[in-house]
Amino acid sequence: MYAALLSNRYLTSRVIPMIAVGAVALCVALVIIVVSVMSGFLDMLKASGRTLIGDVIVSSGVGGIPHYDEWLADLRALPEVEEATPVIDTLGLLRMPYPSGPSKEIAPVQVWAIEPASFARVTAFGEKVWWRPPTDDAARDAMLPEDPRLRMDGSILRDGLTLTQASTGRPGIVLGMHVSIGNARQSNGSYLPRFGWFMPGEEVTLTVVPVSESGKISEPRDATFPIVNEVFSGVYDVDKSRIFIPLAQAQQLLRLDAAPLYDTTAEPDGEGNLPLLGTTPARVTKVLIRAKPGVDALAARDAVEASWDAFVARAARRSDRLGRPPERVSILTWEQQLRDLIGPVEKEREMMRILFSIIHIVCAGLILSIFWSIVIEKTRDIGILRSVGASRLGILWIFLRYGLAIGVVGSLAGVGIAWIVVDNINLIHEAIGRDAPRAAWITTCALSVLSLVMALHSLAGRGQLLPGLLWTIASVTLGVITLALLGHRGTLIWDPSVYYFSRIPSQVDWFNAAITVGGGIVFSVIGAAIPAAKAADVDPVEALRYG
Amino acid sequence: MADPASTHSGTLSADSGRTSRPPSATTAPPMLAALEVHRTYRFGQVEVPVLRGASISIAQGEWVAILGQSGSGKSTLMHLLGGLDRPDEGRGTIEFEGRAVNLGAGRSLDRYRNRDVGFVFQFYHLLPELSVLENACLPGLVGGWFGHARAAAARRRAEELLDQAGLSHRLRHRPAELSGGERQRVAIVRALVNGPRVLLADEPTGNLDATTGASILDLIAAQHAQGLTVAMVTHDATVAARAHRVVHLRDGQVVEG
Repeated sequence: MYAALLSNRYLTSRVIPMIAVGAVALCVALVIIVVSVMSGFLDMLKASGRTLIGDVIVSSGVGGIPHYDEWLADLRALPEVEEATPVIDTLGLLRMPYPSGPSKEIAPVQVWAIEPASFARVTAFGEKVWWRPPTDDAARDAMLPEDPRLRMDGSILRDGLTLTQASTGRPGIVLGMHVSIGNARQSNGSYLPRFGWFMPGEEVTLTVVPVSESGKISEPRDATFPIVNEVFSGVYDVDKSRIFIPLAQAQQLLRLDAAPLYDTTAEPDGEGNLPLLGTTPARVTKVLIRAKPGVDALAARDAVEASWDAFVARAARRSDRLGRPPERVSILTWEQQLRDLIGPVEKEREMMRILFSIIHIVCAGLILSIFWSIVIEKTRDIGILRSVGASRLGILWIFLRYGLAIGVVGSLAGVGIAWIVVDNINLIHEAIGRDAPRAAWITTCALSVLSLVMALHSLAGRGQLLPGLLWTIASVTLGVITLALLGHRGTLIWDPSVYYFSRIPSQVDWFNAAITVGGGIVFSVIGAAIPAAKAADVDPVEALRYG
Repeated sequence: MADPASTHSGTLSADSGRTSRPPSATTAPPMLAALEVHRTYRFGQVEVPVLRGASISIAQGEWVAILGQSGSGKSTLMHLLGGLDRPDEGRGTIEFEGRAVNLGAGRSLDRYRNRDVGFVFQFYHLLPELSVLENACLPGLVGGWFGHARAAAARRRAEELLDQAGLSHRLRHRPAELSGGERQRVAIVRALVNGPRVLLADEPTGNLDATTGASILDLIAAQHAQGLTVAMVTHDATVAARAHRVVHLRDGQVVEG
């Protein structure tokens, strides 16, 4: 009982243990913050991968997959498959409606031609279409007063989901949120039109280059589309470059639609027509597949592979040689598809976890040195305790318990700090990204001057060196902070073009936090163990006589 | 805790003069004894023999003063009697009620210090972080992981003894807020809180003025009057005169008279 009494009293009646608590808290917070952001980044990568491409992705060469409708029917019949959707993936140039005047800006884009209905069932496309009216009062209240969504009806969402401008019946285009210059991201994560450009309703011209099955490039072809909506996936690379158009229009533009095939080696008939060899089937370059709930992506991939083999075998038996599917296509799970991205990030996270965990050793060293000085200072107390019957183990336990208390309090404080920082990391980042508010540097400047006055008072007025030195350090530190704030012109650390996502992950990795807290406590006790053993070895007679 | 029937559990009212119950040291069996005790300190290569076969027997209920010059080994003898230190290997025995306490394991010595003897030091030796009450009941908190009932009993007894010592208004105060005499009263209460059989006082008035010192001796005398055995080390003959028997420590040996 005396161990509890003394360790608690030592903890609460002295400043030095508070420094140790602060050190443990900072170490724990640092590890949790870094690993939480890394883990969140990884989770976002994985989550976005699955929501953007489904569970399994099948990719062919430039020749595409003929008779894809037939194979899609096969796929939909599989017990492992919930839905499958055809996609054409190609590159294009988009002529934007801005600036005003004859010369327009051209943006390189990744074109995804889709069947909107089935695509929305495979991916989260339906949820990612941005411009839509608020669903309820709570959503309405959360929006900025100037948010265009407050004045929208459901037609813009329907147009986006169908890739059709209902008012004209024309096929429409959906742009990634950052493809145009027209969207300015706000601190609450919403978007407001920028430079007077609200993209839905504007027209863009898409230019693509058809490529034949043999890889021969044809004349570029273009088409004009009305922008019917925009999509925000959260993955910066996707939002910056991807556009969606209807599959049928893309097939026509890219010459991947069904078309008669003539024998160009034969002589034309009397009317100048070449002999008709048959009809080439329409093709797509990708098929995205959503697995049934509870079905593992790898199991779904195996089923898709088997289905592909059966499809190829069936096509080989056909007399029609025009629609032969390629022998090989790439069939990957979403995780395999993104492995080049996910693998290094996973390794990086582990490396960071190991490197930052070394801080625990620093922490243990700090506690060791602090406790060593406390044991020396408390030598007489140890002698007194031994004189009233305290055992050596009892003395050992006082200091171990003291270290344990510092570890527990420091680690829990560290979790609290980490939680506050991670939860508000985007707000903090945005604040760093702005110029320092005038009130901030005026406050630090005033505190710096006040500290200087206190330093002079301590040194000159009362002749006290230590308080004078501490006030001087405080004054200089606050002065440096003031200068830093004055010179701060906004620095965005999280560059979405580098880190893929527009927002910094802000979820605490609680599993890692638990491990870090455990490490903080264990290393605090280890740091305390050596001074505790020294305390237990103190000769009580020496302690009482000379302590 | 020791058997209440055999432990000292008197009250702390100040008395003056010698106790009215002189002991018969020569006839009573010794409660505490040092037998041919040697103790040598080593400072690097230098060996300093402090005790050279010192022997002393203290009977139950006796008040013995050990008088000697500074550096004569008085405190060393006191530490050996109280189980804080051990004689040189194989050179002497400390017996308490016929049992050789210095030959036991560390745990039995810890228990001996906690329950059978109580120490009072010249410089009080109170823990500065603890209040008067916490300091006083410290021995009651030592010894056992599940000693809540024992701690509660120690607290009640400490409050009672502090009240008798005139310190009931100082329970929450820290040692730094007390006078020297008050601190020594707290130290005496701490020494008595577990109901020890023997009080070992090492220059208990050495850091106090004459009046305060006298009041402290009155307190000890009051305890002695109620049956507490007292061994007191001093270099002051007037202080030693309060005891019933005075022995001298010369050249590392105890000399009667």
